[in-house]
Amino acid sequence: MGGNQSVPKITPRDRAILDMKLQRDKLKQYQKNIQRVLNREHEIAKQHLANGNRDRALIALRQRKYQETLLAKTDAQLEQLEQLVSTIEFSLVEISVLHGLKTGSEVLKQINKEMCLEDVEKLMDETQEARAYQEEISNMLANNLTPDDEEAVQEEFRQLQALAAPDAEPERITKLPNVPDTEPVRVETPEPYVHEPVRERVPVLA
Amino acid sequence: MALSTHTTPTGFLLPSIHSAPPFFTQQPNPATQATVTEQWTKLILSYARFRRLFTLRVEDAETSGGDWDEVSRNPRINRRLLPSYLEYIISQLVAKGLAVYEPAKQTRSVQLYWRLPEEWAEVLHEWASSTGQLNTIMTFYEIVEPPLPSELSNLPISLLKKAIGILAKTARAQIIAVADGEGVRFLAGTSGR
Repeated sequence: MGGNQSVPKITPRDRAILDMKLQRDKLKQYQKNIQRVLNREHEIAKQHLANGNRDRALIALRQRKYQETLLAKTDAQLEQLEQLVSTIEFSLVEISVLHGLKTGSEVLKQINKEMCLEDVEKLMDETQEARAYQEEISNMLANNLTPDDEEAVQEEFRQLQALAAPDAEPERITKLPNVPDTEPVRVETPEPYVHEPVRERVPVLA
Repeated sequence: MALSTHTTPTGFLLPSIHSAPPFFTQQPNPATQATVTEQWTKLILSYARFRRLFTLRVEDAETSGGDWDEVSRNPRINRRLLPSYLEYIISQLVAKGLAVYEPAKQTRSVQLYWRLPEEWAEVLHEWASSTGQLNTIMTFYEIVEPPLPSELSNLPISLLKKAIGILAKTARAQIIAVADGEGVRFLAGTSGR
């Protein structure tokens, strides 16, 4: 099962915290007890008064006062204890934060080691060289076309541009009305209409 | 003779069968007795759940003024549950695993499991995570008497220990002992193994 591995070890620190918390609980129970005695003395005092025993009533009330002071003292001690407990718990939290930061920084250092600067520089240089080589080749290939071919290519390009832009619109304007006159065709037919003339003319020129 | 339900002063709704005189007598016919016992079991457990009572004793039928009076007695039909009958019902509860004799080796007093220890274990762990107290050392006192009332207030320590034991088996709790007493630390763990 190996369940024990996931359970953290109980350190002496843990035991100390538990001890303090048990003390705190004892104080709280003591307080509860005193509160109970207080209430009871109050009742007793009232009873005595009802029976007409003023002295007894006074005694009971004095008792009650004394208990109240005890209660106040216990309160103060309880506060101190609780503060100590929370300070300790907080410092445990701080320790774990520090531990986390340390681990994180270690990991970062390791990663940085793998990415050494010189390697990166070398890589960038190699990429730059390869790119430059590629460009040279493209230029050489580009320059293999004679000036005449280059001129023809440019002319074709201009024709295409001219056809694609202005002709497209007048074509559509004249063609669209035709569509309803002929058969009940879908809107798809204008599109072949627009493209076909372009294709036809290119072979003619060549 | 229409039987009616009745709401007790504490706000618990007693089932109509509680107003039937035969409910309070042990039945000779085994089949009827089984049904009646079933009804008593349900009634006892739901009353315990309602008022968060954990102990049931034969004594509760013998004397009055206890927590169980509203159930063990019905003054309107002038009937009450006899101690011998209660002892029988208690033994049936134990047989079904819905209660255990506590303290052990006697048959007069039981601890009721209107929630099984396994369920209490889940509630316990749930409470610890939702109040952000995982990985914190806690005392038993802190758990059963928290400053803010919770599901676990006033849980008997023995039941708390059983629940913690169950959590410890799945590595979700760790018991720590010092000279003065014991504490527990809840861990996130994984549900299951």
